[in-house]
Amino acid sequence: MSSRELEGYRSGQPAQLADVLERVLDKGIVIAGDIQINLLDIELLTVKIRLLIASADKAREMGIDWWEGDAFLSKRNGQGELEERLRKLEEAAGLPTSPKQESG
Amino acid sequence: MTTPAATAPLRRDGLGWYLYGVAAADEASARLGAGLAAGTVQGIDLVAEGPLVGVTSRVSLQEFAEPALPERLRDTTWLEQMIRTHEQVLERVLEDASVVPCRFCSVYRSEAELRRFLSERREVLQAALDRVRGRVEVGVKAFIDRDRFAAGRARQNEDVRQQETQVSSAEGGRAYLERRRFEQLVASELERFRGEAADRLHTRLLAAAEDGLALPLQAPELSGREEEMVFNGAYLVTADRGAFEQALASLGRDFRDDGVELELTGPWPAYNFVPEELGAE
Repeated sequence: MSSRELEGYRSGQPAQLADVLERVLDKGIVIAGDIQINLLDIELLTVKIRLLIASADKAREMGIDWWEGDAFLSKRNGQGELEERLRKLEEAAGLPTSPKQESG
Repeated sequence: MTTPAATAPLRRDGLGWYLYGVAAADEASARLGAGLAAGTVQGIDLVAEGPLVGVTSRVSLQEFAEPALPERLRDTTWLEQMIRTHEQVLERVLEDASVVPCRFCSVYRSEAELRRFLSERREVLQAALDRVRGRVEVGVKAFIDRDRFAAGRARQNEDVRQQETQVSSAEGGRAYLERRRFEQLVASELERFRGEAADRLHTRLLAAAEDGLALPLQAPELSGREEEMVFNGAYLVTADRGAFEQALASLGRDFRDDGVELELTGPWPAYNFVPEELGAE
């Protein structure tokens, strides 16, 4: 755990949650089989936790607090609409946006 | 589309297997296995299947199965703890063995299903393990301090220096205008510099690594730092990291006058260098 400023860079800092998130939630092998969370859920989860960390206050200021309601992650509640709202929030938070899906 | 009623009833109670990652049996069983046997490592079950081991924990299916899971996912304290645990277990494994990390919340309902996965997907898992064996992932982030960047540009660039002088000698309304002009000049210099810096960093780091990729930049709310992030990359490097750290140190010195600070993170399990999909069965 040594700071290497003299060497020209910093290291040995405790892992930032953001660095853990972008790996644990976004990367690693996805197993086809008896998995409990499907990919869509994981994508929504990624966005959700990022938003909570990145911009919950900002979103609340804008009067958006739907993630605290029951609609989140509920497939019975219009996935397309949820994704659209996610995308808008992501844009507002300056985050990379989820890929746009075909409406169906 | 089959309904749950048409297939065998799913188990929703009892214990399941949370799979953190897959390692080679020869590597993992020796030191990690000894640690588990001695009780110095706890909370991990190694499930050996042929040349592979699944690194697992027993978890309550009630906690993970629908409908409990969506409820759980709303609990961000639980979520963050689970995410941290996932990472910490893999980091512990990485001390003793190369590991192919799984994505968050990969849970099997039965040991038989887990074993079937390990044996049926043996070839692709082994190919993924071979790629990361003896290697680790490291992260490199670059942040820019705007004031130090402006000062650095003023030293190097006549236009910027003149502008800076005008700002400091002006008074009243003119001072405001001069400052605005100076800020615009710095902003346009910075705009050009960002892309160039990211390209130079990635090219030179990639040359010192086995593989690498640029990750999305993190906003200050995410990175936890006020300075703007100008580069975020992940690299697959040999476990000793010597050549890579030399390249990084040299880049850090080159960029210091531009107000850029480099940060090295890791070693990480090679999340960014394993296949996302394992291909068709």
